[in-house]
Amino acid sequence: MGDGFHQLRVLDTCAVTEQATSFRFAVPTGLSGAFRWLAGQHLTLRFWIDGVEVRRSYSISETPSSGDPLRITVKRVEGGLVSNHINDRITAGDIVDVMPPFGGFCLEPEPKGRRTYYFFGAGSGITPLYAMIRTILVAEPYSVAYLAYGNANADSIIFREPLVDLENQTEGRLVVRHVLTSPSWMSSFSYWRRGRIDAEAIAAFIDEHPPYAQDAQYYVCGPGGMNTTVRAALQGLGVPDTRIHTESYGASEPPDDSVNGITATTSVRLNGASLVVPISAGQAVLDAVRASGANPPYSCESGVCGACRAHLRNGKVHLRARMALTDSDVERGIILTCQALPTTPQLAVEYD
Amino acid sequence: MGTNRGMPILPVSAYTSQEWFDREQERIFSRTWAFAGFAEDITEPGQYISVQAGLNNIFVVMGRDRRLRAFHNICRHRGTQLLRAVGQTQRAIVCPYHDWTYDLEGCLISVPAQEREFPELDLSKITLRRASTDLWRGMLWVHPDENAGSIMQWFGDVEPFLGPHKVEELVEYKEGRTEYDVRANWKIVVENYIDGYHLAHLHSGTLAMYDHSRIKAEFIGPHYAFWEPLSADYAENLEKNAPYPLVIPTEQAGAWVPMLFPGIGLGESESSWSLFHVTPLAPDLTRVVIRTRVADVSSWEFTRQSFRSFGFWSKRIGGKYEGDGDDPMASGDFTKEDIYACEQQQRSLKSPYFVHGPSSVEGEAGVRGHQELVRDWVGDG
Repeated sequence: MGDGFHQLRVLDTCAVTEQATSFRFAVPTGLSGAFRWLAGQHLTLRFWIDGVEVRRSYSISETPSSGDPLRITVKRVEGGLVSNHINDRITAGDIVDVMPPFGGFCLEPEPKGRRTYYFFGAGSGITPLYAMIRTILVAEPYSVAYLAYGNANADSIIFREPLVDLENQTEGRLVVRHVLTSPSWMSSFSYWRRGRIDAEAIAAFIDEHPPYAQDAQYYVCGPGGMNTTVRAALQGLGVPDTRIHTESYGASEPPDDSVNGITATTSVRLNGASLVVPISAGQAVLDAVRASGANPPYSCESGVCGACRAHLRNGKVHLRARMALTDSDVERGIILTCQALPTTPQLAVEYD
Repeated sequence: MGTNRGMPILPVSAYTSQEWFDREQERIFSRTWAFAGFAEDITEPGQYISVQAGLNNIFVVMGRDRRLRAFHNICRHRGTQLLRAVGQTQRAIVCPYHDWTYDLEGCLISVPAQEREFPELDLSKITLRRASTDLWRGMLWVHPDENAGSIMQWFGDVEPFLGPHKVEELVEYKEGRTEYDVRANWKIVVENYIDGYHLAHLHSGTLAMYDHSRIKAEFIGPHYAFWEPLSADYAENLEKNAPYPLVIPTEQAGAWVPMLFPGIGLGESESSWSLFHVTPLAPDLTRVVIRTRVADVSSWEFTRQSFRSFGFWSKRIGGKYEGDGDDPMASGDFTKEDIYACEQQQRSLKSPYFVHGPSSVEGEAGVRGHQELVRDWVGDG
């Protein structure tokens, strides 16, 4: 397909909790180069639901270093259109449109590297972290990993059993500590702390597990608010920003629909060409550019992947979501066109 | 080649001249990972140590995130040494000279009377020179280059040739720390350490508990791996005969005695673990610090073990020659025997009649290998 999607067959599926299912894909030999991935990257899937095209990005939950198939793990979002569609409808043998792996939140193993990795995850934020942890255990033998993992209760922990197995098999190279907000009285599951992964929990975690390898790296993946909390707590302990790597996942953070886009006109520079595109009220910049017949880059359409990013040279927009952007991206005028609604009548947008 | 086997590889001047000494300091000891202490030397945020590593003085400090940072111990103002040997600081490092102050990331954060004295100075442009640090095998290491890379690029290949000891779990004891200033070049001290040929002879009365006929030794990169098994009579009743409580499982008993480059010897045996740290002080003067760790058990266990093994050792340990206690060759102490041999060699280098003699096939292969290594690192000019 010329639009970047490839048809992949679902090898098998596996329920990992009551709310989450893993899907493994068969990648034909001819596509193995295109579908080579790094731990932490995600896939964009496309579906037509009730005749409407929808796209979502999901983190790959398996390491590229073990030879295991490409896999995503999708947790149901309450009322979520796509996550429920996938959990309800997709089964082994189905053909799904998938875009090649993408994303800058990733971990490349170094065979002789020696690092201490701290992972802070919550809910389905475990999926990219799980791929990273497996990668370290398989492909970076001198490194160790410490995971603080937040969930509502023992039953909602994704990869609970596989994490126990990994801990037991790797002679202290992995330590997992569970943090539960509402542990059940009936459960015999032993967890580390009650509450959230906040500054106090983070300080205690590092205190109990100080780095042995001194090249310490910190990876955070949780709902939007958690990443800010963890980053601030780490900075408060003197961790340099360059060692902190974060990714939000969009599903649990509702888009900011407080601002309505106005009717506008934008100039667009794309692939060396210049065009002028009208934008109707409420329409995102990306949709307007596509409607004009041009082929701008885009992928997830939910502000997670960053594929549609562009430079805003003039005018102002409201971003409904901006997970894929760092603060410094925003300061430099980078926007996610799929989430950008005009708030001034004239815009100028420039793609890379 | 004959019995010389390529010797001499290094000229006599390599062991006697200030010029060689200076080149080694610059090209070997200032460009490699250096031993800086043990993990327990820095255990709390703010604690620091400083060490001399070749030409560099480097300090290591623990941040509140419990990660160690290493910096060159030089104020970016006038070059004053910032921190003394050991101590505690909290959030800042203050130069004693003009109170220039740095945070634990090495960033300059304050300069007294800045508005008047340094109105044009951009503090954010000035940081301490970073170095590298890491823990490996319970030991603290520093490297002067902040981009030194992973310490396992340096030690990873030799690690499988080391003992199964868990160094962090063993404890250092006061009497286990000894220091010698040896009147010999550091290479003579190292060559003696890796010479397998002398063990059965110089140490005939002191190291008979190991089977020197079954040595396995080879260079792994720049590091010399060395292993020998216990002698048969010692191994036969090891639990009783060991001088101290065992530190590794009986079935793995043996001695790993590697010489890590440059000049970091380990002595990893069935009942103790020790570091043999060689520091060149002058062309003909070398400091050797030996730090020994043993099983973390009660002193009663040590007393009991020394009682049990007394009979075995009293028959086996003694000087090579009869003599009084001042004679190293009568001391019954293998370190004193080694120092004696090293100092005698160094003295002979001054004799106009000295020439290098033949070199043994196996036992002295390591000596030749180390000389080639030093030659390659120091280069020609």
